Amino acid sequence: MDNNNLLKVDQIHTFIGQFHILQGVSVNVPKGTIVALLGRNGAGKSTTLKSILGLTPPSQGAVIFDGEEIQGRHSFDIAGMGIGFVPEHRAIFRDLSVLENLRIAERQKGDLEKKEDFIFSLFPDLKRLIKLPGTNLSGGQQQMLAVARALVPDNKLLLIDEPSEGLAPVLIEQMMEAIRQLSAETTVLLVEQNFIVASQLAKDYVIIEEGQSVKSGQLADLVNDPETIHRYLEVA
Amino acid sequence: MNTLLQSFRKNRSLWTTLVALLFLFVLAVLGLIDQDAEGGARYKNVVFTILRGFSTGSIIFGLMNVLNMAHGAIFMIGAYVGWTVIVRPDTAVDTFTPIVLLASGFLLAPIWHKSINKLKLSSRVSRLWPWLSLAFTLVVLGFFVPQYPITSWNLGSYETTPVNYAFAASQGQVVVPEPKLFQGISPLLGLAGIILGSILAGLTVTGFATSRRANLAGAAMQTESSWKPLIYFGLLVFLGLLVFSFNTPISEFLYSLDSTWLFIIAILAAVITGAGLGALIESSVIRPIYEWHMYVLMLTMGVNVIIVEGVRSIWGAPEFTMHRPSVFAGTGEGCPAESLSALIEFKCSTISVLGGRIRTYNEIFITILGFIVLVAVWMLLQRTRLGMIVRAGVQDSEMVKALGINVQKIFTIVFALGVGLAALGGVIGAPSTGLTTALGESLLINMLVALAIGGLTSYPGSAVGALMVGLLQQFVIKYGQIGINIPFMEEPFKPSPPLVPAMTVLLMVVVLLIMPNGLFGRSK
Repeated sequence: MDNNNLLKVDQIHTFIGQFHILQGVSVNVPKGTIVALLGRNGAGKSTTLKSILGLTPPSQGAVIFDGEEIQGRHSFDIAGMGIGFVPEHRAIFRDLSVLENLRIAERQKGDLEKKEDFIFSLFPDLKRLIKLPGTNLSGGQQQMLAVARALVPDNKLLLIDEPSEGLAPVLIEQMMEAIRQLSAETTVLLVEQNFIVASQLAKDYVIIEEGQSVKSGQLADLVNDPETIHRYLEVA
Repeated sequence: MNTLLQSFRKNRSLWTTLVALLFLFVLAVLGLIDQDAEGGARYKNVVFTILRGFSTGSIIFGLMNVLNMAHGAIFMIGAYVGWTVIVRPDTAVDTFTPIVLLASGFLLAPIWHKSINKLKLSSRVSRLWPWLSLAFTLVVLGFFVPQYPITSWNLGSYETTPVNYAFAASQGQVVVPEPKLFQGISPLLGLAGIILGSILAGLTVTGFATSRRANLAGAAMQTESSWKPLIYFGLLVFLGLLVFSFNTPISEFLYSLDSTWLFIIAILAAVITGAGLGALIESSVIRPIYEWHMYVLMLTMGVNVIIVEGVRSIWGAPEFTMHRPSVFAGTGEGCPAESLSALIEFKCSTISVLGGRIRTYNEIFITILGFIVLVAVWMLLQRTRLGMIVRAGVQDSEMVKALGINVQKIFTIVFALGVGLAALGGVIGAPSTGLTTALGESLLINMLVALAIGGLTSYPGSAVGALMVGLLQQFVIKYGQIGINIPFMEEPFKPSPPLVPAMTVLLMVVVLLIMPNGLFGRSK
C-alpha cells in the first residue's frame, strides 16, 4: 500500500562525476518499520542514502517523503523535513565536544533537552563523555554519538549506514538493542553489510546489485532462501 | 603539571620552537635596555617596541579569515571608504542612495525563485532567458546609473583632488562643495530607473541560479509563501529615498560633526561596505568553485587587481592622509599627558611614559581594538551556534548539510564578517598608514606570512603568527636605529629598512622548516 509508505524511492538514477552509480533503484519504506538495504560492497547502498538526502542528487526518478516529492531540493531542506542521517564512518565533528556534536543537530532550541533522557538511556556512556572533544572518542563511542546526533531533532525517518562496521561484538549487541528501541519511535532505513545483524533488526529488505534494486521482500523469507543470499550477498 | 608534561611530550617540536623563539625574543629585549646617566636600566625602548609590535600585529590580524587574496584590497577599500566619510561626507551621502537602491532588488530573489518554479519552463527557455534579462539589466543600469548626481572630487585639477581635500581637512579648513543635482532627466525618473535596474538584476541572478539546478530531476523547491522579502525591499527603497530627499541637511549635519563622531560613522560605513563586498564576492565568484582551492586563490587575486584599479580610478593614484579623530589628536597645553585624567581632559595624541612618548592612537587604541576583535571573534567561534557550525563545516560541510543546516548561507555570512573585519582594519589603520593603492599588497604579504607561521587551520595560531610578525618587524626597525653589537666587528650592525619584510619571510622559512604545518596547524 502506497499510503503507508513514509518514503518511496522510485527508479532513481544518480551520477557521481561521470560515473553512473545508481541505475534504477526503488525502495519503499513503510511507516514504523526498519527496512534493510543489502548488497555487496560498492553496490550503491550508501549512494542511495545520499541520493535520498540530496547530497548526491538523482538526475532521474522520484523520491517521495511524507507525500511530497523531494528530489532536487537542497539537502538542508530535505533533512529539515525530518530525516536524520548516520553516515558511513560516523562523520563526528572532531573539533566539537560531544555536547556540541549533539547541540549542532538541534533544529529548534530545546530539542536536545527534550530528547536528552531518551538518548542517554540508549547510550549511557555518552553522558560521561559529554565534555570530551569528538577526536578523543573510540570508534564505538563515535558510532553511538553519530546515532545519538540523528535522534536530537524530531526525525520521522532515520537513514543509518553500517552501524555495526568496525565494532566489537559486544558493542554490536548494544547498538542493535539501541536501534531496536529507537525504531519504536521512528522509521529506519538501514544499510548493513552484516547479514545477521540486518536479519535480526529489519522486517523488509531491498537488495541492490550494481546500482540497481534487484530484489525485495520480507527478511523472514530471505533467511530461508540460501540461493538468493548466495547470489547477491555472499562474497564470491 | 602532569598535563603540561604530557602536552610537552606530544608536541615536542612545537615547544622547542616556542622556547627557541622566546629565547631570541629575550635576547632582543635585553639588547634594547639602555643605561641612563646614573647607570640605571631604562626600559623605554623595550616597552615601546613591544607596544608597536602589538599594534602592527593587530592590524595584520584584522585581515584574516579565509585564504583570500582580495583581503588586502578590501583592507584598502575600508581605508578609502572611511576617508570619504570623514573628509567628504557629502560624497558619502550622495553615494548612499544609489547603492541602497541597487542592493534592494536582490532582496526580491526569493519571490522570483518561487514564481519561476511555478512557471515550469522548459530547460532551453530557462537557460536562455537569464541572458536576455542580463542584457536588459545592463542597458537600464548603463543608462540610469551614470545620470545619478554624485558630488565628488575631480582628479583632473589639483584644487579638487582628494590630496587637496585631505590636506585642507587636516588643517581644519572645510569648504562644503556645491551639491550636484539631476540634469537632463527628472529626479523621479532617475530614481525609478535605478530601482527598475536593480529589480532586473535580482531577476537575472535568480535566473542563472535556477538554470544551474535545472538539470536535476524534478527540482521541486519548497513553496512556502512569504512576503518578508517584499517588506525588506520596501524598507530599503524607502531608506534610500529618505536619504535622497534630505540629502543636503544630512550632508551639512555631518560636516558640522566633530571628527570623532565622523570617525565612528566612518568605521560603520567601512565595515558595512566591506561586508557587503565580501558577500558579493563570496556568492558570485567563490561559491561556485569552493572545492577548487587553487582557483579560489587565483580568482580572488583577480578580484584584488580589479579592486585596486577601481580604487585608483575613483580616488586617484597619489597618496594622501587621513587625520586622526579629535580624541586622539590633542597637542599643546597639557600634552603629552602625564596621567590618565590629563589624557582624558586634553585628548592628547601622546602620553609620556618612562621618559618617552607613546602615541595614543597608534600604540594604544589600535592595540586595544585589536585585542577586542581577537577576543570577540574567538567568542563567536567558540561560544555561539554560528561558530559551532563554522567549526563543524570546515571539517565536513556535507554532514552539516545533512543535519538540516544551510551551510552555504553560514559560509557567506562568515566570509562577509571576515571581509568586514578587513575593512575595519583598513579604516582603523588609515590615520597611521596613510592612503595609498599599495596599502593592500604589503599587508597581504604580512598576513600570509603570519598565517603560515601560525598554521593555516588554527585561529589562535594565526593570532600568534600576527603578533610574532608585528613584534619582529618593530624589533628590526628599532635595531635599525640603534644597531646590534656583533663581536669582532668594528661598527654595530644596523639592519636596513628593506630587511624588515625579509626578516618576516626568514622567520616563516625557519618555522616551516621545523614545523611544516605551522606552529599550531594540523596536518590534513
